[in-house]
Amino acid sequence: MAPATRSKPARPRGQPLSGLAPYLYLTPALLALGVFVYYPLLNTVYISFHEWNLVSAKRSWVGLENYRNLLMSPDFRGILLQSGLYVLLALVGNFLLPVGLALLTLQVGEREGEVYQSLLFAPTVVAVSVGSLIWLWFYLPAGGVFNSLMAQLGLPPQPWLSSSATALPAVSLVAAWKYLGFHYLIALAGLRAIPREYLEAARVDGASGLSLLRWVVLPLFGPSALFLFLSTVIQSLEYAFIPIEVLTQGGPFGSTSNLMYAVWQEAFKFFRAGLASAQAVTMIALFAGFILWQFRLLERRVAYER
Amino acid sequence: MNAKRGVWLARGLLLLAVAAVLAPVLYQIGLSLKPASQIFSAPLSPFSWPATLENYRVVLQKLPFGRYLFNTLAFALGVTLGQIVLAVLAAYAFSTYRFRGQGFLFGWVLVSLMIPFVVTYLPNYLLLARLKLLNTLVGLILPMLAGGYGIFLMRQHFRSFPRSILEAAQVDGANSWQILWKVLVPANLAAISALAVYVFINTWNQFVWPLLVANQPQVYVLTVAVQRFAGGEGVNNWGAMMAAATLATLPTLLLYLTMQKSILETFTEGAVKG
Repeated sequence: MAPATRSKPARPRGQPLSGLAPYLYLTPALLALGVFVYYPLLNTVYISFHEWNLVSAKRSWVGLENYRNLLMSPDFRGILLQSGLYVLLALVGNFLLPVGLALLTLQVGEREGEVYQSLLFAPTVVAVSVGSLIWLWFYLPAGGVFNSLMAQLGLPPQPWLSSSATALPAVSLVAAWKYLGFHYLIALAGLRAIPREYLEAARVDGASGLSLLRWVVLPLFGPSALFLFLSTVIQSLEYAFIPIEVLTQGGPFGSTSNLMYAVWQEAFKFFRAGLASAQAVTMIALFAGFILWQFRLLERRVAYER
Repeated sequence: MNAKRGVWLARGLLLLAVAAVLAPVLYQIGLSLKPASQIFSAPLSPFSWPATLENYRVVLQKLPFGRYLFNTLAFALGVTLGQIVLAVLAAYAFSTYRFRGQGFLFGWVLVSLMIPFVVTYLPNYLLLARLKLLNTLVGLILPMLAGGYGIFLMRQHFRSFPRSILEAAQVDGANSWQILWKVLVPANLAAISALAVYVFINTWNQFVWPLLVANQPQVYVLTVAVQRFAGGEGVNNWGAMMAAATLATLPTLLLYLTMQKSILETFTEGAVKG
């Protein structure tokens, strides 16, 4: 894209360019971002071209070898597939479900809605690592809550966390529990931001129930829903990270690992820094589209205010 | 009639969601108050009578909780203070000045919000190792100071502050540093303290970074200590494990109960007003 096609940000209120002062005010924050976010990012790319065990003084340049190994590895393909599953399950538990609950909340009074909001939000302030512990108890093969429930229903007990068929959804459920209230809060705020006059006008014109929802509420809710959708996709692997660490450590047989967790394991459990970094770069590349899209949304809003 | 039934249906489903979301919290607290003999006798009921504080006694006896509490507080307060100062300064530049590279630099602030932590952890770990800062509070705090969210949020607030007041202060002879600390910051104190609570809770709940760089008992923060206890001494002692978990959760839950409104606002702002 030619630089000229992008409109320059308008000068806020016709101010002249300032001198050195703004740069001085920015220095500490930009230094922190540079040293602890962007330099590491570049460093990760650099390390990904090496074979290195983290401790030895010798890093050997292997070019694209790590990437080639990843693409050839059936394990990595499994991890990609599982990451896709995590994204899908997060979209159900942390996008569709909170949006649905937020829409339902519009049916009840505003005061009543606030009560649901503060109760549903509560797990957000609990540390995920700490909050995941009770789920270990829920999922216990003998004496756990889920299997006691199964017994009451006359069903056989399930090895929730030790069977590769059930472990990933079980871990995903914990992530959904932890972040449901946060996403519900955002969805509800988006819905409440729809100007009342629009709804009134549509009602006067005879719209009600589903047609009001379909033709008025959803179109106006679209932009904030898109934002929430992208946040969910971008965060989904991170949301599952700690539940994986606490509940399964990626097992059984790697079946609950995802791209992000695999990076962690390669780096700090198997000490294969090069491979871990190549995985990290691949992950960023896979999510780059969503990240840029989200960035555009944020940027547009920021530009809007000017 | 139909509308009324719709309201009740909505209410029922919402209450169901509330019950499902709160159940794990209730079970955690309930289990922590159960005597060991009762833990497996009625797994479906979260509470049993009479309740006991025995599990708390065991945990407080086995773990140096004061030490962990101090570490966690120092970590959370250090990060909060640092992030707030950096965010206020940067937001001041972005909101009241106009300078070359403004949009470009702000773009990098926004993008930093979307970079997953695992991408930066390995190089940051190596950096701390080289600086001999592993297993120190300073090492724990420093990398956490890079927080784009605070800059983003404070900028919003500073922008909406009436420019005429800033200009009046300038006419009165205040320099830009004084204008920031004597006019802008006091006027935005509510938003700043809301952001502080948000950063504090987030830092308090950090687990992966402290697990990586503070893995010696003397620098454990609560999340790490609880996890170590759950996988070590407290393994299979569910009552004690849940007592430790409840103790670690209490401070943030209390903060939430007392400052709910501003916490909910801060969590919403970035996503909606953003």
